[in-house]
This record gives sequence, structure tokens and C-alpha cells, in this order.
Amino acid sequence: MNPPIPTLLELQRAIQRSLLQRAGGDASAYVIADGLDPGERLGIYHNTSAGVLATALHLSFPAVERLVGPEFFEGAARLFSAETPARSAWLDEYGADFPEFLAHLAQAASLPYLPDVARLEWQVNLVLHAPDAQPLQVARLSQLNEAELAQLRFEPHPAARLLRCEFPADTIWHAILERDDSAMAAIDLADGPVWLLVHRTESGIDVVRMSECEWRFTAALFSRRPLHAALEEAPCDDAHVLLAAHLTRGCFADVT
Amino acid sequence: MNVTVARPQDAPGRIPSKAGIGLRFRHHQAVAEARPDVAWFEVHTENYMGGGIAPRYLSTIRRDYPISLHGVGLSLGSAEGLDVAHLARVRNVVDRVEPGLVSEHLSWSITGGAYLADLLPLPMTEEALAVVCQHVDQVQASLKRRILIENPSTYLRFRHSTIPEWEFLSDVAQRTGCGILCDVNNIYVSACNHGWDAMTYLCALPPAAIGEIHLAGHSLRQLDQGRTLRIDDHGSRVAPEVWTLYREALKRFGPVPTLIEWDTNIPPLEILMEEAATAEAALEQQRHESAYPNAA
Repeated sequence: MNPPIPTLLELQRAIQRSLLQRAGGDASAYVIADGLDPGERLGIYHNTSAGVLATALHLSFPAVERLVGPEFFEGAARLFSAETPARSAWLDEYGADFPEFLAHLAQAASLPYLPDVARLEWQVNLVLHAPDAQPLQVARLSQLNEAELAQLRFEPHPAARLLRCEFPADTIWHAILERDDSAMAAIDLADGPVWLLVHRTESGIDVVRMSECEWRFTAALFSRRPLHAALEEAPCDDAHVLLAAHLTRGCFADVT
Repeated sequence: MNVTVARPQDAPGRIPSKAGIGLRFRHHQAVAEARPDVAWFEVHTENYMGGGIAPRYLSTIRRDYPISLHGVGLSLGSAEGLDVAHLARVRNVVDRVEPGLVSEHLSWSITGGAYLADLLPLPMTEEALAVVCQHVDQVQASLKRRILIENPSTYLRFRHSTIPEWEFLSDVAQRTGCGILCDVNNIYVSACNHGWDAMTYLCALPPAAIGEIHLAGHSLRQLDQGRTLRIDDHGSRVAPEVWTLYREALKRFGPVPTLIEWDTNIPPLEILMEEAATAEAALEQQRHESAYPNAA
């Protein structure tokens, strides 16, 4: 007996359940078999869908993939995508929750630094695809006196982000992507926490390790605190040198 | 209304009736630096929505080549309306790239706020037709230009479909004024999978609406009892049967911009250029036959 005719919305919801839960379910009843089980027909779409999302994760988390191996990664990616569907077709945005998913994945518990490497890769991904913006020109600051400078609030460049990791994720990430086994072997996991700045350069991505104080100073600036307040919160020795370095790196888009 | 015919023939960025190639990240650098002899390129709109190196390459390449934008994410067949944030991202890319053509698919991908990451088949019903037409109108109004809609390759049909796909697509074009991106490989794949006659499909499409043709490779999956299913995976050369169907399409539609698509196991650019040369030869033959219809 044929099921009642579904509305377009009912049909789309049924197919969504079929694709995400991998159960033919009520969607199968709407599909003509014609020599192939409707569940298998829907399965073709399930495979493409899961494969596309796994590829998006594979592009954003290459070091994680190398750390766990392609098979484990594919399995984890498919588990994740079933739990956390994409919100839009702009898949550069897909995977923000993958690091936390890995942190709670029992099978990955033997690699305690894995979630930190994933968090770093997510920041790298965000920086890689961040909107283009003209960096702040140092010349705009040269006419200001000391009192005026102290009141400035800096607008962070979209392609500059901060991250703190319990483990030395930056050296692991670099050694893994460079396939540098001796660098990997030399890593001391106790060499954390690390305080990182991730920013875009002309040719790619740079990950800069900072001292805790430098990081806190930068974080205060990135949260648009006035320069004098940032200096009070994080009184590092070479704050002005660091600020000059950030300006050269193009870490700010504007100043008010 | 056909917006493209109103443009002067030498308008910068106009897609010529020649063979182009689907451009993927792998070939960005080679194309930007070596400027190979390719008439035009098509890219996936969704790959250029952010900033950084990819859009920078594209703007470099755009200086030397006409570009067509091919979207996969508007989900024109969604019952719950268009994702207006995604439409705004598409508009932003269109504004930056100034493409010669903008296209999307006759399919849906979004329901309940989830993007299902595939071009899913629509039931061929009056309700779905009205939804697609409304969304095509909305997109064309937002982008202030005509778009092309591509026929899908499908692996299932719904019991309650009442309209043949070729009529559905022609109706969308007629009601909205959009053009049709005729994917000849998709027609072949769907026709084989569902027992349709590919020529019936081709002959039902209105020639004046055809703004572009897609060609790609597909693969074959063996089923029980010696049956096969064809999968549109864009991972190989165009099949001989699809080239034959393409030549029939050109006879009917005249020389139309034709794209070679290749998305999995992407080969060196030279292989893509060989495929484009085969399409170009067919286009040239059609131009000749159109000019001298009695020569044969």
C-alpha cells in the first residue's frame, strides 16, 4: 500500500532523518524501488553527504588526520557529521565543534594533545579564510603624542587570532605537517602551556609563540581595551616592541 | 527576458561559446602564472566566500579570463525558504568577481536549518515547481541578473512525482525567465538510471533557454541481477556515449559555452585541456554546420 502523499516539507524532513540517522525509515516509503532497495538508493546520497563533510574536515584538520591516521579520522569525521550537521553550504565554516568532539572521544584519549592540535588547526582555518581587510598603517599613529596613544583602542584584524593550549600544539602541528620525525621526537609534552598568535601572511599562515604576559597584553588589545589599560593589565617588559611587531604583522585593522 | 543577448558581444567577462574548464584549487597557481590557452573558467561560488589566498588567486585569474560562478548551496528547492545569509554571500562573490554566468541546481540541500551536503532530488510536483520558481525569482531579484539552473543527476524517483523532469525544468525557465544549464552527462546518467530516453529529455528543453552545457565523467556501479547504476562522480574523462549526446545537443541548441568538470582525483591541467579540445572541435563543427547548413 502506498503511503499518503507527503508535502515537500514532510518529504525533506523524512530524507533528513534518513541521511543523518542512516535509517531508511519513512523516506523509503516515498521512493520507487525499481530494482534497487529504496534504502540503498537513499544510501547513495548518505554516502555523498557524509563524504563531502568528511572532506571538509580533512581539509581543515590535516595534522589531526596525520596524528590519528586516515581510517580513524574518517570514522571520527562521520560520527561527528552525524551529530553535528553543517549549517550552510559555506563549508569553510564547518568543524568549529570538532576539537571539543575529539576531546570527548574515548578512542582518542591516548593522544591527550590531540584536541589542542585540533583547536590550533581550527584557528588556522579561521585565519586562512578570514575576510580581507586593509591592515592599519603605522603612519596613522606617528602624529599622536603619548597621551593620545595611551587612549587608543585597536581593532584586531580578522585574520589575527589568539589561542592558549595546555600542550605545545604549535611545535606538534609544525612537526607533523613538515613530516619532521626528529622534531616530533624532540617535543616535550610538559613544554606547555603555550600562548599563541595565529595570523595570515602574504604567503600563508604564521603561528607565533608568545610569553604569557605578551599574550595577555595582546588579548587586552584585541578585546579593544585602551592601550594604557592593556599595559596595566599585562605590564610586560617590551610591550611597545611587541605592539610595533603586531603592527608590522598587520594584526590590527583600525584604531579609534 | 534574456539579459545576456542585450550585452555587446565583446563585453568584458562575457562567457564565449567555447569550451571552458572547471577551475579547482589545485590549478590556481599554474593558471595564474602560466595563463594557459583556455577560453574561460568556472569555479564553485562557495569556495570563494571568505578572504585570503583563494579569492586573491581568483581575482588575478579574472583579469585574464572570463569566469562563470557555479553555486551548490542555495538549495532552491527547500520548502522552508532560502537561506538569506547564504544568498548575501553569493551576492558578495558575484559583486567581486563580475562573472559572465551565474548558475545553480535544480535540487535541495537544506531542511530544518541543516545543510545536507548533497544535491538532493526534488519530487516532480506542482508544489515543488512553485517553490523552485519562487526561489529563482528571489535569487534573480537579489543578484539583479538572470541565472542558469542545472538539471541534476539522480539515483531515485518519488512515487508521487507527476511531472517529467524535462517539463519541470522547462517550466522553471519559462515562468522565471532563468536560463538552463544543460548537463549532458547528468541527462545520460539519469536516463540510464531511470530508463528514460536521453533524446526525449534533450528535445524537450527549449533551445533559446540553454545558456551553458556541462560535461563530466561518471562511474558505473554493478547491482544485483546484472543491473547497473551510473554515479555522477566527476572523476574521469567524459564517456563516449556522453560525447555522442553532446553532439546531438549542439545540433539542437547551436554552439553553447561548454564546461569540462572534474572534481575527484583531479588530473593535471593538460588532461582537462585535452577534454576541452574535444569539446571545442565539436563546437567548431557545429559552427561550421550552422554557417553552411546544406554542406553535408
